[in-house]
Amino acid sequence: MFSEQKVRAVLFHLSVLIFIIGLPFILSFTLGYKFDSRTLKFTKAGIIALKTQPAGASMYLNGLILNEKTPATIGELLPGEYNVRVELPDYYPWEEDVTVYAGQVTRLEKIILFPLRPNIKKLNKERLSSFWIDKDNRRVYYFNQDDNYIYTSDLEGDDFEDLVPYASLTPPPGKFVLSQDKSKLLYFNKHQIGVVYLAVKPENLNGRQHFVIDYPRDDIVDVFWHSDSFHIILVSSRRIQVLETKPGSEAIDLVVLNKKNSSVVYDINSDTLYFTDYQKADDGNFYNNLYKLELNAKILPLQDILKIKPGEKQPQN
Amino acid sequence: MKNNRRIKRLLEITPGAISWGIILFLIILAAVRPVLAAVFVIAFDFYWIIRTLYLTTLLVMAHQKLARQKNTDWLRLCKELNNGRGWLNLCHLVIFPVYKEGVEILRPSLEALKMSNYPKDRIVVVMAYEERNPKAKIIAAALEAEFKGEFFGYLSTFHPDNIQGESRTKGANATWAAKRAKEFISKNNILYENTIVSCFDADTCVDKEYFGCLAYHFLTTPNPHQASYQPIPVYNNNIWHAPSFARLVEISSSFCEMIESVRLEKFVTFSSHSMSFKTLIDIDYWPVDMISDDSVVYWKAFLYHKGQYRVVPLYITVSMDVAYSSTILKTVAMQYRQKRRWAWGVENFPFLMLGFLDNSGVPFLKKIRRSYHLLESHITWAVWAVIMTVIAPLPILLGGAYFAQMSTVGYNLPRITGTLLHFTLIASLVWIVLSRLTLPPRPADVKWSRNIVMMLEWVLVPFIVLILGSTPALDAQTRLALAKYMNFQVTEKTRKF
Repeated sequence: MFSEQKVRAVLFHLSVLIFIIGLPFILSFTLGYKFDSRTLKFTKAGIIALKTQPAGASMYLNGLILNEKTPATIGELLPGEYNVRVELPDYYPWEEDVTVYAGQVTRLEKIILFPLRPNIKKLNKERLSSFWIDKDNRRVYYFNQDDNYIYTSDLEGDDFEDLVPYASLTPPPGKFVLSQDKSKLLYFNKHQIGVVYLAVKPENLNGRQHFVIDYPRDDIVDVFWHSDSFHIILVSSRRIQVLETKPGSEAIDLVVLNKKNSSVVYDINSDTLYFTDYQKADDGNFYNNLYKLELNAKILPLQDILKIKPGEKQPQN
Repeated sequence: MKNNRRIKRLLEITPGAISWGIILFLIILAAVRPVLAAVFVIAFDFYWIIRTLYLTTLLVMAHQKLARQKNTDWLRLCKELNNGRGWLNLCHLVIFPVYKEGVEILRPSLEALKMSNYPKDRIVVVMAYEERNPKAKIIAAALEAEFKGEFFGYLSTFHPDNIQGESRTKGANATWAAKRAKEFISKNNILYENTIVSCFDADTCVDKEYFGCLAYHFLTTPNPHQASYQPIPVYNNNIWHAPSFARLVEISSSFCEMIESVRLEKFVTFSSHSMSFKTLIDIDYWPVDMISDDSVVYWKAFLYHKGQYRVVPLYITVSMDVAYSSTILKTVAMQYRQKRRWAWGVENFPFLMLGFLDNSGVPFLKKIRRSYHLLESHITWAVWAVIMTVIAPLPILLGGAYFAQMSTVGYNLPRITGTLLHFTLIASLVWIVLSRLTLPPRPADVKWSRNIVMMLEWVLVPFIVLILGSTPALDAQTRLALAKYMNFQVTEKTRKF
C-alpha cells in the first residue's frame, strides 16, 4: 500500500511539474510569442497561414525550404517582410512578398496552383460543328453538320451515343433551348428556327424527327419555350410573337416593338416575358420602359390566340 | 436555531453559486476580453489533459491490483490469520433495501450470496422492503420460501411510510431494517463489534470471495471500526445486453470508482459498501432524510470519530445492473436522472461544513482539506464539460472578426485545443482496453459481432460528455441552491434473460 501511494505521489508531483513548465510555453505559442534564445526574452511574433489548391506544395520562406507542406502555418515569425514561395511539381509556382505583423495572422489561403499542362480532355468521338450542354441532366449534345446528326454523351465524354438526325441551319445556330418536358430541342440563327424531337416521334412529320421554320421577316433576337413545351415565344428585332411547334407554323404578333433589339428575359416558371421598349410620353418624348407580358394559360389562353383551324390535328407534344 | 438554518442555506447555495459564477464569468470574459478567455481555456484544457493522463495511470494501477487479487482465496487467508480476532467470531449482516425491484432482480442477488465461498451460518440476510409497495409481501414470501433456510438468519422487514422526520429515501428503509436486525443480533448473543454490516443495492451480486475478502480486511485493518470497506462496483449483470450509451456511462462510473480507490485521502463510500455494525449504531445509522445515504454515512462516521475514519478499498467486485430502458431517449433520461441523483451528493457539503462548525473535534487542517476536496470535486464536475464544449469556442464566436480571423490567439486557439485534446485519445485507448479486460464472458444469446460494437461505441464519448458530463451536476447544484430539494428516485433496472 505504501509503495502504491508513493508511486501515486511521484505521479502527482510529476503532473504538477509538467503543468507548471509546459503551460508558459503553450501559452506563449498561442499568444504568438517567440522565445529569443539570444536575448532570453519572449518577443511577440506573427503567423503566416498558407493554403493551396491542390494541397501538398513545398514552401519556401526567404528562399529557404520548410519541412511542412501546404496547408500549413508558419509561426513564430518576427514582424517584417518575408518572401513566400510555393512549389508543386507540374504546377506553376506561386510567389509573393508579404508583411508579417506582431500578434497577427497573415492569411494566404486562396492560392490556386495552375498546372503547367492544363488538364484538357477531348470529349467528342465524332466530328462536330457545335455543341450544347444540358447542365440539369449533365449531358453534352454534339451537332455534326456533316451528317446532320446529334450525338450525346455525359459530361466526361463517356456513354457516347447517336441520338437523332437534325436539320442543319446556315449559318449554324447560336443558341439551343430544351423544352421543359425535355422532349424537344430548338435552335436558331437569325432567320431560321430548327426543332428536333429527342424522344417522342411526332405523327405529322412523315417519319422525320425535325423540321425548320424559316423566318425571313426580321432578325431573330431570342427564342424561348413556353412551359407547355408546345408554344415558342419568339423575340425578333421588331416584334414579340408566339408560334406553335409544327412545320409552317404562323407566328402571331403579341407586341410590335418601337425599339430595335429590345432586352428580354423569359421566366418559364410563371410564363412571363420581361422586355424593354420605347414609349411616347405625354411630353412627346420617347422613354425606355420595362414591360411585363404574362403568357400563362389563365391570363392569356394561347389556344384562343392561335385559333387552331377546324379539322387540324394538334401535333403531339 | 434560526442562525443555523441560515448558515445551512448559505452552504447549500455555495456550490451552485461558484459553478454558475465560473461559467458566467467565462462567458462575459469571452465577449469582453477574448484573449484572456482563450488563455484560460487553453490553460484549463492543458490541466484537464494532464489530469486525465494522471487519473488514467491511477486507473491502470487499480486495475492491476484488482487483477492480482482476483483469484485470491480470502477465506483461506482468514483461516491462516492468528491475530486473536478470529474470523469465526464474525457475523456478516447483509441488508438489501428494496423498493420496486421484483423477484427477477432480487433472486440473482441472493443466489450470489448463496454461492459465496464463506460459511452461510455466519451470514444474516435482511431483505428490507417498503411497506408502501403493494407487491412487497408477495415478493417477500416468494423469496423466503426459496432462501430462508440458506443462511444463519433471514429477515424480511417492511419499512412503514410517513415516519416522522423521515423522507422517502433508501437510507430510511436501510435504517429501519438495521434496527430490526439489531434486535435479531442481540437475541442471538452476537456482539455488535463482531458484526460487519453490508448495505447493498437490490441488484448487487457479490463476488464469491467478497465476504472472505471483507473479513480479512476487517481483521487486519488497524482500528477496524473506524473504517468503511468499499468494493469496486461493476455493472456486469446485464452489460452485454445494455445499449451502448448506458454501457459506456456505467463503465465510466466503474472506472471513476477504481481511480478513487487509489486516492485514499479523498475516498468516500459509494453505492454498495460495508462497515462495522457497532459504528453504524454509534452514528445512529444511515441518514433518514437525505438521498446520498451512501456517502453521508461515511461523513457521519468521520465526524463521530473526529476525522479518524477512512475508507479501505477492497479490490474485489460487486456487480450491479446497467440502468437502461426500452428506448434510447428513455435510457438517456434515466441515466441523466441517475447521475443527477449521484450529483445530489453535493448535499454532503453543507452537512459536513455544519458538522465541522458544530465543534466536531476534527483537526483544522483536515477540515480544510476534506471540505476543499468535497467542494472542488463537485464544482469540477459541474463545470469541466461546460468549459470544454461550450466555453472553449466562445472567444472565437464572441471575440469579433478581428480576433477570430487576424489575431494569432484567435488563429491558434482551435488548433492548440485540438492538438491538446488528441492526447485524451491515449487515455481513451487505455480505457477501451481496460473495459475489455473487465468484461464478463459473453452470454450465449449475444452475437460475437457485439464485440465490434463494443469497441466502436467509444466514439459516443463526446456526446455522452455533452449530455451527461456536467449538466446533471449543474442541475443538482442549482436545485440545492434554490432549495428545490430532490426526492429519492429509484433507477429502473431491466434485465434480459
